[in-house]
Amino acid sequence: MKLLRQDLHSLTGAYALDAIEGGTERDRFNRHLSRCPSCAAEVRGFREVATTMAFAAAAEPPPELRAQVLAAAARTRQLPPEVRTHARPRRTRASLPWLPWLSGAVAMAGIAVAVFFGLAQARTQSQLNQLKQQDQALALVLSSPQVKVLSHQVINGGTATVVLAASRHELAVATSGLPALPAGKVYQLWLINPRQIVSAGLLPAEISGQTRAVLATGVTSGDALGLTVEPAPGTAQPTTKVLLALPL
Amino acid sequence: MNPSDSDASRFRSSPTDRRGERDLNDLLVHVARGDQDAFEAVYDRLAGPAYGVIRRVLRDPAQSEEVTQEVLLEVWRTAARFDPAVGGAATWVMTIAHRRAIDRIRSTRAAAQREQKIADVSTPHDEVAEAVEASLDRERVQRCLGSLTDVQRESITLAYYGGHSYRQVSELLNVTLGAIKTRIRDGLIRMRDCLGVS
Repeated sequence: MKLLRQDLHSLTGAYALDAIEGGTERDRFNRHLSRCPSCAAEVRGFREVATTMAFAAAAEPPPELRAQVLAAAARTRQLPPEVRTHARPRRTRASLPWLPWLSGAVAMAGIAVAVFFGLAQARTQSQLNQLKQQDQALALVLSSPQVKVLSHQVINGGTATVVLAASRHELAVATSGLPALPAGKVYQLWLINPRQIVSAGLLPAEISGQTRAVLATGVTSGDALGLTVEPAPGTAQPTTKVLLALPL
Repeated sequence: MNPSDSDASRFRSSPTDRRGERDLNDLLVHVARGDQDAFEAVYDRLAGPAYGVIRRVLRDPAQSEEVTQEVLLEVWRTAARFDPAVGGAATWVMTIAHRRAIDRIRSTRAAAQREQKIADVSTPHDEVAEAVEASLDRERVQRCLGSLTDVQRESITLAYYGGHSYRQVSELLNVTLGAIKTRIRDGLIRMRDCLGVS
């Protein structure tokens, strides 16, 4: 598995130059990319190199092209932003209605922070700043310009709440009221889609009935967030019944 | 073709010039709102590099013009989906341009054309003479390509300007697939450092 991963990683260059032929290899690499932030960063840097190479090849287009393109644009309808501004259809299985995508700091301060850190814990900006310093990566999700907040009951009790960042392929998860586990058992999070199941980390122990928010990266469209009980320190694939399967 | 200084000057803005990039990002935000003046400004900044790289890959001027138009219309249509967090506007547009050129070549290129192109690509520097006046980027790219090993340079040039997949590059250079992947990546790392890309 490790070898395979390194093998995939070495494709960053070919990928950035569009030199991977279509089909399974590119699909596999795309999936890998969405779960490998360092690969994505490398691809971004390589694309900048490629952009400089494009500028180095600049050539004057035929003069008539300008008017053609502008005229075509004038009669071409533009696509709306990908991020929704309205709620998705409600899901009857959800214990709470799905909340719409929220914009900006108001949403953050009003909902995410309250959900994740408890109203009493972060009421002021300075407290929020402190929390951000404590966990920069988490703060990035929580302060994304657009987030979606989902909440769902866990089968054996308790609730999981997810803040999903629109553009970052990352989410933050916190839970409350989960049953305590015997020693040697942990709650493990999963990103589940029809093709594969990937561990998204362990839930920390609850404090006063709540878990601190944890970050999961590499979220792709169509993923569901899963939760199982596993032997510590977690397993490569789920081995017990899924207690939560929350479509993202 | 011997363009005036004022024509050429608009191709000089470097994609890694932060101020220029920010302007472009702002312009795209306006384009996303349907601002046609902003789109004209984007055209003036990016049509040259887009057309240039597409023509390097496709060779055929008529097809290149067609694909350039498709690319710029895609920029107009999808500007609202441009995400500056992922990369700058120039990179977004050039990524679309190169990919569209590759899509075109993989769907239409006949074997005979492919052979012709391989011969052409082996003398990349001559083509540059066709480009608009020497730009800073061209000098930097040539200098940085010059700092690579032969295999690194040829792999990157064949892949990016030649539009070849790394499998094809591996056959052309008679180097194993695994080695080609690594050479492309190592070469790009060197290019990145040499060009001062963050």
